[in-house]
Amino acid sequence: MAHQPPTTLITVTLPPGSTLQDAMRRLGIASGEVDEEYGLVLVDPEQQSYALLVTEEAGARLQGARGGHGPHANPRMEPFGPPSPPGQDRSPDDRDDGGA
Amino acid sequence: MRVVLQMRPEPDVVAAVINPDVSASAQEVSGEVPGVALDPDFAPVPIPQPVPASRAGDPLSLEQPFNFSMAPENASVLVRGEIQDYNIASRLAMLATARPDIVGISSDPVIETMPTCGGDAPVGDWHDVEGSLTDLRSEGLDGSGVSLAIVDNGINTAHLSQVLGRDVSVDAARSFKPAGTAAQFGQFPVDHGSMCAFDALIAAPGAALLDVPVLRSTRPGSTVMEGLLSDAIAAFAHLRTLLEAMPVEQRAMVVNNSWGSFKPSWDFPPGHPGNYSDNPAHPFNLAVTALERAGADILFAAGNCGRDCPDGRCGFTDRPINGANSHPRVLSVAGVDTRKARVGYSSQGPGRLTLRKPDISAFTHFEGSLAFGEGRPDSGTSAACPVAAGVVAAVRTRLPVQELSPAQMRTLIRRTAEDLGMAGYDFDYGYGIVDAPGITEALRRRQKNGRR
Repeated sequence: MAHQPPTTLITVTLPPGSTLQDAMRRLGIASGEVDEEYGLVLVDPEQQSYALLVTEEAGARLQGARGGHGPHANPRMEPFGPPSPPGQDRSPDDRDDGGA
Repeated sequence: MRVVLQMRPEPDVVAAVINPDVSASAQEVSGEVPGVALDPDFAPVPIPQPVPASRAGDPLSLEQPFNFSMAPENASVLVRGEIQDYNIASRLAMLATARPDIVGISSDPVIETMPTCGGDAPVGDWHDVEGSLTDLRSEGLDGSGVSLAIVDNGINTAHLSQVLGRDVSVDAARSFKPAGTAAQFGQFPVDHGSMCAFDALIAAPGAALLDVPVLRSTRPGSTVMEGLLSDAIAAFAHLRTLLEAMPVEQRAMVVNNSWGSFKPSWDFPPGHPGNYSDNPAHPFNLAVTALERAGADILFAAGNCGRDCPDGRCGFTDRPINGANSHPRVLSVAGVDTRKARVGYSSQGPGRLTLRKPDISAFTHFEGSLAFGEGRPDSGTSAACPVAAGVVAAVRTRLPVQELSPAQMRTLIRRTAEDLGMAGYDFDYGYGIVDAPGITEALRRRQKNGRR
């Protein structure tokens, strides 16, 4: 099977001060299935919600895992400028497939 | 939306409108019209009825000779008013049902020249923008002590120093870049991020620039000029940590975001639990809430999908102000040129997370940073957003979060805006253009009342 890049965005509810290892243990994710460079990002301290990036397969496995949420859309972001002149589409059709 | 109502009142009322010796008001012609604010300054206009010249003429054809009858039993009367933009089609249908004496409803657009569009030459230069902000400068409000984060594709300080003729630096120790991004803070290629930094410095030359090049992400799925929303989540978490580390009495951070999502095909559909564009519970929208709650003033560009000349990348068929660009806890910024006319590409509301988007307008499409070369403007709502962010940073100079919360800041900016377009809020300009004299006057009143 081809190696999948970990670009699927998921969130997990964990106690304050949790680490990526804690998240992986909670969600049953192996080290090859997570983007370790991205790490574990605290999204909202009030909700103790953390984000991480995993492979699509690992994301699909999470459905119903305790404290795990997602997958969430992880769309591309582009600068709002300079705007193209009317009638010019600078975005080729083949770029419509990514993101979510 | 401004509308013209064609009414067929009683013949004696029509006769009064026709009679040049009698003055009849819109109110006298139509009485109260539900959901419509009548324009009292617009004198009702009698409209003759076209009658086929031949008795055997087709009553529904315009392709024949006509006589025009101004007899009171035939003529109708035009009055003018305004009706809310939201759900306009159903409102008009309800109006026609509620008032059978209304025989026609049409829009009454402002007659204007072609708006400024992408590819057009600059309209004025950054000194025109600076000139509109002198009230802030004369009050000593220049952004000193305020952190100004440019979340974009990186800043080139050498270019900014050259164009501005003074040293410009970034606070590298507190800046943030996605893992794997090669260039050093302040040394990215001259591009969109440098333009944003330049435009923010117009009002806030004393602010400390934080370089946050998330659109330079090298993560799988991103491209050279695009990041992924997950990079922005990490960046906002970093900024929140910085802000929480500041002493409460010194907290002052403004976050500029001149970017967004162009295509719904990059997202899960609305209604899907993982959707971003319409979902306040998406992790990035939660990260925006958390950063604002920590004390940041967050501004997002409204986008370049305006009806007159949308950017070719626009994929939303309606309501293009989506996701965090329409978040209730941010200021969403539309664009006007230095003649105070809306640029044709500036996205119009309502927004997807909040109806009343954009919030405000600011100047764009002027010659400024030269980031895209000589003769090419700083354009898009991308430029309008940092112009407004600079103003917010300037206001923060003496008003840390302890004195003025981000919510109060948004109210101040909206309340003092110079109203453009329709009276009051509208989906083209929001509450109007960011207005430095109005802001400084409000701050003076605040001081008179014993507050900083």
